[in-house]
Amino acid sequence: MTDRAEAVKRVFTAKNSRVDTNRGERYYKELYVRCKKRIEELKSMESFGSKAELSEILSDEGYSRRDFMKWTSATTAMLMLPGFFEPLVAEAAEMMNRIPVIWVEYQDCAGNTEAFIRSDGPKIDDIILDIISLEFHETLMAPAGFQAERQLDDARETFKGKYLLFVEGAIPLAENGIYGTTGPAGETFIEQLTSLAADAAAIVAVGTCATFGGVPAASPNPTGAKGVMDVINGKPIINIPACPANPANMVGVILHYVLTGQIPELDSLLRPKFAFGYRIHDNCERRAHFDAGEFVEEWGDEGAKNNFCLYKMGCKGPMTFNNCSIIRYNESVSWPVGVGHGCIGCSEPDFWDKYAYERPMADANIKAPAGGVEKSVDEFGLGILTATGIGIAIHAAASLFAGKKSDGEDAS
Amino acid sequence: MTATGRVIHWINAICILTAVITGLYIAHPYYQTLIADPAVDKYVMAWNRWIHFIGAIILDVTLIVIAYLYFFSRFEKAYKKLIPTGKNVKEFFEVIFNLLTFNRRKRFDSTHRDSFNVVYFAILHLLLVWMLFTGLQLYVQGLESGLSSIGKWWPALLHNATDWTIAATGGTLMDVRISHHTTMWWIVSWVVFHIYYQIWRTIYWQEGDIAIVFGGSKYVEKRR
Ligand code: SF4
Ligand code: SF4
Repeated sequence: MTDRAEAVKRVFTAKNSRVDTNRGERYYKELYVRCKKRIEELKSMESFGSKAELSEILSDEGYSRRDFMKWTSATTAMLMLPGFFEPLVAEAAEMMNRIPVIWVEYQDCAGNTEAFIRSDGPKIDDIILDIISLEFHETLMAPAGFQAERQLDDARETFKGKYLLFVEGAIPLAENGIYGTTGPAGETFIEQLTSLAADAAAIVAVGTCATFGGVPAASPNPTGAKGVMDVINGKPIINIPACPANPANMVGVILHYVLTGQIPELDSLLRPKFAFGYRIHDNCERRAHFDAGEFVEEWGDEGAKNNFCLYKMGCKGPMTFNNCSIIRYNESVSWPVGVGHGCIGCSEPDFWDKYAYERPMADANIKAPAGGVEKSVDEFGLGILTATGIGIAIHAAASLFAGKKSDGEDAS
Repeated sequence: MTATGRVIHWINAICILTAVITGLYIAHPYYQTLIADPAVDKYVMAWNRWIHFIGAIILDVTLIVIAYLYFFSRFEKAYKKLIPTGKNVKEFFEVIFNLLTFNRRKRFDSTHRDSFNVVYFAILHLLLVWMLFTGLQLYVQGLESGLSSIGKWWPALLHNATDWTIAATGGTLMDVRISHHTTMWWIVSWVVFHIYYQIWRTIYWQEGDIAIVFGGSKYVEKRR
């Protein structure tokens, strides 16, 4: 246990967002043995979640074993594990129902939940998320009110210290958190989160609201909304931002946990590096047009028809770290830039205030440092320049008027 | 002004101009690529970025030389004029009075670099250092694999040296960009006043100040 705490600490103090794709054979061999042991342990446990076997559910949904193996290779690669881990990853996917999950929703739109239950024909990622042992999920479960409350207490008692706590949505802190209450007793979000977090094995913050505050925390943030990592201390926290968080990344994090019993390696914003170690811009299919200086100038123009780069329409791919441009959404069908709209940087902190506008940063309206009226960055800059110019003009005019005189002449 | 000083001055001037022209394009591509060629051939943004980087790297090198000269120049060690001693502070304000009284009052030694000038240049140098750090931070964001053609140490070094600018500007990668861009406007304004002031001095002091940066010296009439 102390080992694990140490490992977690190391991860948390790591600031560098460098991605290590190859750690050498020895490391992976050892990891393999550890993972194998863990899977065996899990196998001997009874499943809490769906009793049906994954293979049966998959074939009911029309997926062949071959489809599943294809998914397995892709997921193994995504987790940056070598090829010989594939059978283990497949087994881990089948063991997903051994990990109890409590899912709570705070200031949110349930978009992350929607993302994995509402796809057109469930994808393998979604099915796997369906079979996890969801012990409590307000949106998906039948009971309500006192009944629901009892179920939550049961789950919390039974799986004390073992469950993964998934949090969706921001936590309002203003005026003691009265902007968000839950349950028949009117418990505030922050109260519930603090007590649930205390008994959790780890916390997974899904979506940008739960990670960085997201839209509820956008200026002027009337409810004092914050992300989980700003209000909870002393627990391992994994952030999976984006709006919505990609189901593939949620599965990746849970799989990693099932497989190794540990949380994946995180960057300085507590995002798993396997997913957020990539910049959108560097893996974008329109990148050649960016380098060529071919930009869409207007929605629907010739450039748009030719899939030119969306930078001038405000694409924030160059300053956004996420793997959308690699794994895309809905089993790699498409992603935002693929269908013709720029990235709005939804997986970065403060994205609503600082990224989400349909023009390049130079034209962006930002608050002047001293507050006051919003000015675009270039307007602000031109303002500085104009002030300099006016100052100079006045001085030059006054100089001309005063004429050339020096100290010496003055005295004489 | 020494020969080294003059060379540095013109290198800096050209590099800043280049960086501003290309930087404005990178921030907001203001002309279109009107070449009927496939994308791989034209590379307009890529060239702009390349020139911007080269300009920046040369500036970074001259900055290091300048930092060295502040302390170890064989001629006028600039740092001596930066220390706020009574004499320096007095000189600093005398120069400002001179400017504000349209040369009615000139009570300092104008045969050598004065305190005001040194402070004014120190501001530019600080702005350029800030551009160096924020610029390298923006650059390392594209090296997210942790690899580079010259080895893994390079991105690692850049991360260690510049990651603090993210927190310093407001916590997001976008803040670093906004700051890098706004600082450009401060530098442009700096340059505008700098040019004006040199011309004004030349005309009003009648000591040929503008010649300093070309020939190295100016002409001061001996007081009768
Ligand atoms: S569309 Fe966006 S992410 Fe893609 S190349 Fe252009 S700026 Fe980069
Ligand atoms: S492309 Fe950008 S805005 Fe869209 S989901 Fe990905 S990170 Fe978010």
